[in-house]
Amino acid sequence: MKKWKSYFLVLSLSVTAIFTGCSNQEVPSAAEGKQPAAEQEGPVEIDFWYALGGHNGEVLEGLVKKFNDSQDEVEVKAAYQGDYYENHSKVLAAVAAGNQPDVTMVEIGVIAAFADAKVLADLAPYTQGDEEKYIPGLMKNSYWNDKLVAVPFNRSTPLLYLNREMLEKAGLDPKGPKTWEELQQYSKALTKQEGGKTVTYGFSTPIDIWFYEALVFQSGGNILSEDGKSLAINSPEGKAPLEFWNGMIKEGIMKAPPGEKYNAWDVAKQDFINEQVGMIFTSTGDLKGLKDNAKFNVGAAFLPANKDYGVPTGGANLVMLAKSSEEEKKAAWKFMKWITETEQTIPWSLETGYMPVTQEAVDSDEMKAADPNFRVALDQLQYAKPRPMVPGYKELQEVIMTEIQRNVLGQATPDEALSAAAEKAQKLLKK
Amino acid sequence: MHRLAAYPLKIVERILLIVVTLVFVFPFLWMMLTAFKTLPEVFRFPPTFLPEIWDFSNFMKAWESGPFLRFVFNSFIVAVGVLILQFLTAVPAAYAFARYRFPGRNLLFGITLIALMIPPQVIFLPIYVQMSGWGLVNTLWSLILPYGASAFGIFLLRQSFMQVPDEVIEAARLDQASEWKIMWKIMVPIAKPVLVTFGLFSFIYHWNDYFWPLIMTNSDAVRTLPMGIAMLKASEGGKIWNVIMAGNVILVFPILIIFFFAQRHIIRAFIYQSK
Repeated sequence: MKKWKSYFLVLSLSVTAIFTGCSNQEVPSAAEGKQPAAEQEGPVEIDFWYALGGHNGEVLEGLVKKFNDSQDEVEVKAAYQGDYYENHSKVLAAVAAGNQPDVTMVEIGVIAAFADAKVLADLAPYTQGDEEKYIPGLMKNSYWNDKLVAVPFNRSTPLLYLNREMLEKAGLDPKGPKTWEELQQYSKALTKQEGGKTVTYGFSTPIDIWFYEALVFQSGGNILSEDGKSLAINSPEGKAPLEFWNGMIKEGIMKAPPGEKYNAWDVAKQDFINEQVGMIFTSTGDLKGLKDNAKFNVGAAFLPANKDYGVPTGGANLVMLAKSSEEEKKAAWKFMKWITETEQTIPWSLETGYMPVTQEAVDSDEMKAADPNFRVALDQLQYAKPRPMVPGYKELQEVIMTEIQRNVLGQATPDEALSAAAEKAQKLLKK
Repeated sequence: MHRLAAYPLKIVERILLIVVTLVFVFPFLWMMLTAFKTLPEVFRFPPTFLPEIWDFSNFMKAWESGPFLRFVFNSFIVAVGVLILQFLTAVPAAYAFARYRFPGRNLLFGITLIALMIPPQVIFLPIYVQMSGWGLVNTLWSLILPYGASAFGIFLLRQSFMQVPDEVIEAARLDQASEWKIMWKIMVPIAKPVLVTFGLFSFIYHWNDYFWPLIMTNSDAVRTLPMGIAMLKASEGGKIWNVIMAGNVILVFPILIIFFFAQRHIIRAFIYQSK
C-alpha cells in the first residue's frame, strides 16, 4: 500500500515538477543558503542524495568519507533519502522548491523521465570524453536526446541462481539450464511432492517487470516499438514469456512468490535459502547476501535463452542536477568521476555485489580473482539491452507489471492482459 | 431460562475475543521474538517460535547503526510539539463549532472535514515549497508547523463538546465565567477521555510517521526514529531482519508504555463515542 502510494506520488510529482520547474527557473533560491560562488572560501560543498540503506549504504558513506579526506577542494555531504522511488520524489520536490542536491542516484528506468523534465545537467562539458572508461553495456541508459546525462554507479543485472547441491543430487548439470526448455526440464526434475503437496519447487521468480523484460529480449522482442510511441509486447515475443511462466505454474514446477513488488523478491530469496526452491531469478546485488545465508553451494548462471540470451540491466546511475551553479557542477563532477574510477569501483563492487563500472576494473586481477559467480554477471553484459528510454516508462512499467501479474494469477488471458497494457500505454506514451 | 441461553453466548463471545486478540497480537509478538533471534535462525524453515539462542546484540546493532539517541530526541520533540499546537488550535475551534451560531459555520466545518480526507501525500509539494521559502526545510519546524491544526481533533472534540448539556454552560455564564474560562475549565475537563484518545492517536501518528520527515529533512541531525529504522533496510541484498525488528521494538516501546497508562481513558472515550 505504502509502496503503491509512492509510485503514485512520483507519477503526480513528475507532472508538477515539470510545471513548477519551468516557472521557477530564474528565481534564485533565497532560502537554502546557496551563496554566490565567487565569495566562497574553502572547499565547495555539494549535496549528494543516495537511496541505499543497510550495508550498501554504509559502504557508500565510507567511500564519501574517503573522498572528503583525500582532498580539500570539494566537501560532499551525503544524505540517505529512502529507497529509489522515495528519493525520486524528494529530488523532484526539491527541484521545484529550489533546494535540490547537486548529485543524486536515479534508477535507470526513470532517467528519461528526469531528463525530459529538464532536471538533469548535460555532463559532456565536464567529462570531456572520460566516459570512455565505462563498460559500454552499462552506458545504454545514460543518454537522452544524444546528451550524456548520467554515469553508471550501482548497477546490477538479473542472474539465475542455482542450488548446486540440489542440482547435483538430481543428476543435473550444476552449471544450470541454458535454454527455456532446459529450465523447464530442470525444474521438473527438482520439484518434489510429499503426500500430494509440493515441498520443493524447481524454479521461482518474482513476476516483475525486470524479469519480464529479460524474457521478452530472450524471445527476440522489444518492450517498445522503435519510435518509442507504442508498446511492442502485444506480439508473439511479448506473449512467449507469459505462456512459458503459465505453463510451468500449471505443471506445478514453478512458484510465483506472493507479495507486492520487493516483497515478492524477498519471498523468492527466502524460499531459495530454505531450499524450498532450487533455482530463482534475482539481482546480482543479492550474490553476497544469498551466499552468506545459504547453507549450500550457491551458483550463478546466465538467464536461460529462448531465441538468444538477453537481459536488461538495473540499479541506479549518478546524475548531476541542472540547477546547480557552475562551481557546484565542477565539484560535483570531480566527485562523480572519483567514485566511479577503477580504484573505487573495485572495492565498491566486491563489498556490495554491484557490478564494477569501468572496463579496466573488469580486466583487473582483483576482479578476476573474485568469486567466479561474479564474472557471470559481467560476461552476461554482452547480451544486455537498455531498459526503455522514454519518459512515460516510469508509469508504464507499473501498468505492464499489473497486467502480467493479472495474467499469471489467472485473472486474464495473455492476450487480454497484453492488449489492456497496450491500450493504457497509448495514453502514457503520447505525452 | 434467560440465564441458560446467555451462558453459551458468553463463551462464544469470549472465544471470538481471544481469536481477534491473537490476530492483533501475533505480529507484535513475532516482531519481538525475531528481534532476539540470530540471522540464520530467522531464515530457517520451518520457522522456530522461541529463539534458540537469545541474541541481545541485535538491539545494540540497531542502536549503533546511526545517531539513534538523536532520532529518539527529535521524535519526541516533534510528536509532543505537534500535540501541543494541535491542542491549542483544536480546543477553541471545536468550542466555536459546537457552541456558537455564526454565518458560514457549516461551510467552515465542511471545509475542515474535507481536510480530514486529504492525505498528506497530495498536498506536500506546496507545503514543501512554502517551507523552503521560509528557510525551514531541514529543521524540526518543518515537521511540526504543517501539522499545527488537526481536522480530526477538531471533529472529535466538537462531537464531545456538543454533548455537554446546555444547563452546565448556562450555569457557568450565570456565575459570570468568561467564555475563555468555560472553554478551558469546564469543557476541556469534561472531554478528557476524548482528549487523551486524540492525543494518543496524534502522538502515534507523528511518532511513526515516515513520509513527512523523509520529504522535509536531509540530515541526521533533524531526522526522526522511523528514518533511522528505514536506513537499516538494504534496497538490494540480504535484509538483516533481526536487527530491523530490534529497531522496530525500540520504535514501538514508548507507544506501548503510553498506551499502558492511558488505556483507561481510551476505553472510556470509545464507549462514550458509541453511545
